[in-house]
Amino acid sequence: MSDDVLLRATDIVKNFTIRSGGLSGRATIQAVAGVSLEVRRGETLGIVGESGCGKSTLARCLVQLMPATSGTVEFNGSTLTGLSRRRLRPFRREMQLVFQDPYASLNPRRRVGDIVAEPLRINKYGDAKKIRDRVTELFEIVGLDPAAVNRYPHEFSGGQRQRIGIARALALNPSLVVADEPVSALDVSVQAQVLNLMADLQERLNLTYLFIAHDLGVVRHVSDRVGVMYLGELVELADAETLYTQPHHPYTEALLSVAPELDDGRQSGRPRIVLSGDVPDPSDKPTGCPFHPRCPVATERCSTEKPTLVSISPGRSVACHYPRNLDETMVSHETKGS
Amino acid sequence: MPESPDTTDALLEVEDLRVSFATRGGVIKAVDGLSMRVGRKEVVGIVGESGSGKSVSMYSIIGLLRDPNVSITGSVKFQGREILGLSDKELRTIRGRDIAMIFQDPMTALTPVYTVGWQITEQIRTHTDLTKHQAQARAIDLLAEVGIPDPARRVNQYPHEFSGGMRQRVVIAMALSCNPKLLIADEPTTALDVTTQAQILELMKKLQETYDSSIVLITHDMGVISEMADRVVVMYAGRPVEIGERREVIRQPLHPYTWGLLGAVPRVETKRSRLVTIPGNPVSPLNIPAGCAFGPRCAYRFDQCDERPPITGEGHLDACWLSSEQKVDLRRKIQEVTVES
Repeated sequence: MSDDVLLRATDIVKNFTIRSGGLSGRATIQAVAGVSLEVRRGETLGIVGESGCGKSTLARCLVQLMPATSGTVEFNGSTLTGLSRRRLRPFRREMQLVFQDPYASLNPRRRVGDIVAEPLRINKYGDAKKIRDRVTELFEIVGLDPAAVNRYPHEFSGGQRQRIGIARALALNPSLVVADEPVSALDVSVQAQVLNLMADLQERLNLTYLFIAHDLGVVRHVSDRVGVMYLGELVELADAETLYTQPHHPYTEALLSVAPELDDGRQSGRPRIVLSGDVPDPSDKPTGCPFHPRCPVATERCSTEKPTLVSISPGRSVACHYPRNLDETMVSHETKGS
Repeated sequence: MPESPDTTDALLEVEDLRVSFATRGGVIKAVDGLSMRVGRKEVVGIVGESGSGKSVSMYSIIGLLRDPNVSITGSVKFQGREILGLSDKELRTIRGRDIAMIFQDPMTALTPVYTVGWQITEQIRTHTDLTKHQAQARAIDLLAEVGIPDPARRVNQYPHEFSGGMRQRVVIAMALSCNPKLLIADEPTTALDVTTQAQILELMKKLQETYDSSIVLITHDMGVISEMADRVVVMYAGRPVEIGERREVIRQPLHPYTWGLLGAVPRVETKRSRLVTIPGNPVSPLNIPAGCAFGPRCAYRFDQCDERPPITGEGHLDACWLSSEQKVDLRRKIQEVTVES
């Protein structure tokens, strides 16, 4: 593994079994269908997709909050998948999560200082005084008044609670922070504060972020590279700038074209591509390309032959038989492998 | 009654609406002096953060806040007729027929124990003389119109058999069932995914043209406002702080709160940069500062801001003590900073 890769996932699959009305009474939902990706040291990798696309499940599998059905996760060169809870523990310090709902992710019956101190206690950070000092330091880092450690979560606003969640995630000096929709529950003005805070912390503490969100503007804003998921699969991966200006996958293209924009003269002027239908039921996935029933450019081939994620130019991968917006120069090394 | 020319085609006129809730913690002024009008076939967007009073103002207008602890004052004229203070019985002839409502969460707006057809026909039969069969046929037509495939079969299904986007279509079909003159849509796409949101917004635009309805669109999303609204009302702490044509409010915003709100939106079309933020948190409705409610969070606050600024202007109104020259100047500086970074 090259030095700049912090986390590498290979072919992650996560199946859930659910009860259904069928003959067997059971059905399998493939929430994540073979995703491979690398998170590089110091970068922010954004994962964007609509509800049910598997982005949160993928995040949970990556940090070993739930076991993947198959596939491997390597962190800093060590394989995590299959390790016992005990042996995982040193790695857990390195990988922390920030959750979406700052109301549900903080225990309402505990003081916020205790909530932030908990990871320190579990990991035997030091004596009471050392822990108290660290909590004070963490409160200052995330822009909260350290005098508030004895208050309860309900005394804080949504944005402040999310700061507490971030302080808890940072307690053990992790190298990777996985943020699952960290700002989607917040008002715009507060959302901007939290995004700016996360950017500052990344620089100051040398953090690597895996940032999961459905909001395309937010993802563009924070990410160096962006992966787009659809029905459990990674359909496109590129650095943020090129993905947003030159999307190759028709799904990415449609997604970007319908994101509401401010009418202030700085719009992209993209023609709107309004997709028909809904995201298919993941327990009954289409054959071939998962996107083909809604794809404006799908052909016969797409319904039978499944495209794989292939690199079509340095740093750019797309899973599509007919990538869009290709430069003349790119066509030469087009999807021969697929 | 003498009528000035600019109000002749007003469908809804709200004058100095105030809504307050008496709670154990004190009186909450949820809406504190809202005056606005909605013209025929006009789409008015009300934008603001949580607790700004945008939903409460509309709920109070159509009598959805009936509680001894709620006090509503002011005047609300619908088609020239005062509707504030009407009895429930009188309101029922307007609500659902002339004024319809689309709620944010399509799951809770429908009852899970009846078929969608039953729910639509109930509404039709309440307000018209159609027979059961005619109402059923109309329900199927409506479902087809809002883009639900196979409506004759779907009409007999229950809400849980529909996806989120499809449910919102059902709610829209229900709202349209009696050709309402005014449609109040409260965050109609907030619970939906981006691609579904695009479908629903497109549908609402199309139907607004076919039905000649006016729409009041309540949202926190400046992007949605930008795509849908003709005019915009920006609310903060229960008060309107800026009202104007969409293009003017978005391109030449006058109020510092609107500047912050627009600057805080991460853009799909521009690169990674630092966001303009509004410091602090939205004010607690229990504790609205005297003077300008936005004062404590405002970077341009000065002495006069201790006094509450009235909302003034020609066509494009705002509630701020800064002079128009100062506003133009400050806004230019902010825009330069954003473009550079």
